[in-house]
Amino acid sequence: MRLTLLLALLVLFSGCTGSPQSKQLTLAVVSGVEGEALKQAAADYEKQTGTHVSVAEFPYSNLFEKELIDLKARTAAYDLIMLDDPWFPRFAHEQVLTDLTPFLQKRGKSGPDSDFVETSLALCRHPYKTGSLYALPYVGNSQLFFYRRDLFEKYLMKPPLTWDDVLMAAKTIQEKETTGANGGQVYGYVERAAQGNAAVADFMPIFWAFGGEMFDANGKPTVNSPQGIAALQFMIDLGKYSPPGYASFNADDVGAHLLQGTAAMSINWPAWISSFSDQAKSKVIGKMEFTTLPGAEKSGHAEIGNWLIAIPRDSHNAEAAVDFLLWATSAEQMKRSAQRGNPPTRKSLFQDPELVAKYPAYPAQLRSLESSRPRPRTPYWNEIENAFGIFLSKANSGDLTAEEAMNQANAEIEKILQRAQ
Amino acid sequence: MQKSRRFFSALNKRELLLPALFLAPALAVLLALSIYPLIYSITISLQQETVAGITWGLGNFARLFSDNFFLTALGHTFIYAISALVCEFLLGLGLALLLNNQIRGRGVFRASLLIPMMLPSVVVGVVWRLMLNPNFGSINGTLKQIGINTESLTWTASPKLAMLSVIAVDVWQWTPFVFLVLLAGLQAIPQEPYEAALIDGSSRWQTFWHVTLPLLKPSILIVLLLRTMDLLRVFDQIFILTEGGPGFATETISLYIYRTAFRFFDFGYAAAMSFVLLALTNVISAIYIRLIQAEPN
Repeated sequence: MRLTLLLALLVLFSGCTGSPQSKQLTLAVVSGVEGEALKQAAADYEKQTGTHVSVAEFPYSNLFEKELIDLKARTAAYDLIMLDDPWFPRFAHEQVLTDLTPFLQKRGKSGPDSDFVETSLALCRHPYKTGSLYALPYVGNSQLFFYRRDLFEKYLMKPPLTWDDVLMAAKTIQEKETTGANGGQVYGYVERAAQGNAAVADFMPIFWAFGGEMFDANGKPTVNSPQGIAALQFMIDLGKYSPPGYASFNADDVGAHLLQGTAAMSINWPAWISSFSDQAKSKVIGKMEFTTLPGAEKSGHAEIGNWLIAIPRDSHNAEAAVDFLLWATSAEQMKRSAQRGNPPTRKSLFQDPELVAKYPAYPAQLRSLESSRPRPRTPYWNEIENAFGIFLSKANSGDLTAEEAMNQANAEIEKILQRAQ
Repeated sequence: MQKSRRFFSALNKRELLLPALFLAPALAVLLALSIYPLIYSITISLQQETVAGITWGLGNFARLFSDNFFLTALGHTFIYAISALVCEFLLGLGLALLLNNQIRGRGVFRASLLIPMMLPSVVVGVVWRLMLNPNFGSINGTLKQIGINTESLTWTASPKLAMLSVIAVDVWQWTPFVFLVLLAGLQAIPQEPYEAALIDGSSRWQTFWHVTLPLLKPSILIVLLLRTMDLLRVFDQIFILTEGGPGFATETISLYIYRTAFRFFDFGYAAAMSFVLLALTNVISAIYIRLIQAEPN
């Protein structure tokens, strides 16, 4: 009896006796193309340096909670984590990330190198742009304006520079293109206004172009400003040329309409570009054009959506993690990530002839990224985005007028901020 | 008295040691997986996290009353639960009565009726989301074929039809369960009361009202209770079908609790809402039992 117990204990504890000296890193990544590239990089790193990198992969919808729960519980389960940039303020606010500057200084660097796109690097600092560096940007997504070049040429229209151009073009295409691809209607535009992230991401570029701002200098919400209401009214007007039901569309619905050739324009993310030249998916091969976002009163700004890599404050292997982080975000390795399908965050790579030959939209992507704006930097963004998205969606589905929606959204956002005080 | 004395003397003799040892693992698991989380969730529901730190009190519960999202979601939950329950009960009862008779192909009907219930809710959600898609879905496709204008029939995307759509999906999935329980109840009713009613010359309606229904009451009670509890905490199909949208049109309490906990990371408030849902479910169940038991035979 005693012997069995002893044996059982031995088996139990033998798991813990692995030598702590052996180099090992654990990486939390998102499943999908962004995480896949980092996973492959981790395998390369292991071959090159002998450092074992184990990868924990989570779907996008679970990654935030997994990482934050783990970091707050201080379990030190991960040495490196991938973060979607809107989450970053929350993590920085909770003080669960490692300040990278001392580690860079130790390696003889005064800071991250200047090849990184400034708008991407600004996301990694807390406070935004000016504060300490807690992450490095890995995937440089920002929104692009997608439109059907062939239809614009057919109806002798210039590439849209303003949202008014977009509305006119949407009207023209919808009225004239009634027997388009599949012998059916081509909608002038496709918006996505499902509550939450979808509606907000689709709205922000219009909101900014019309001169709207989410917060004033004192941090008070100002979404119901005249500019904000006008922007939402414009989104609703443009919705007349969007397929019915767009108030519940997500990115995949927008992608499906564009790929099927049933809609002519949209705001979308670079990850979709490659599918337009895929024989199996696309009915519009060679017909799509990708450019920067239109303006209105103000110049056009895309929403930035970068993937960052950070090191949890409680990681036991911070030194090794920094080595990996610098290696993975180096120009050489990021080029490999770009070849695996992820837009880089380095200027030199957007201009790399080999990559530009493979990805002709890179010049437009760089212009979009450099002029992009982040979602407001607040630790309560998830909650604010949820509330804001609900009212945007309601206005687009005809439940509320633009003014009602913005007033109610403003009141809810104010409540969220007050509670945090 | 006799028994308890024997019990304690047994304790003295340490005869209880072995049973206690056998029970210990189960108790430990129960403690770790059920009791501890329950106590923990009570404590966090009493905590509010602010910039200044954690404050204790009933703040989370007070906040419920001024939270428009919570109140609206609560309203949706009740609309959803009541409408679905009524439809499921009436349809289930009708089907059970129909298939309790000797009709041709009864076995096939019974078996095929049970399929929806066997599917995981997530699968049901995905299948119906595809079918209800306004542009590419099979429902609008079929309607178009028979010449109905589907322009305004955007189902889960329409603020007016979204709630109807999610209720319809629940009715589709769970009517079979109601049917199954009620059919079992019907088949357990003996023939004699019916024969007596026949001799007394009661009409079919009278037989149903005065014989079938009272004898079916235990099954009805069970099925209503189970369905009510399930409906009040509905999550998976709605999450897949609409994610609470469009806007907020189909957001139920469970979805809002999930969002608050795992998206906004406010576990205290989510716990408070969960306890309110628990209390409401208990009250409603108690009312049910009272109502049905109080009914005169």
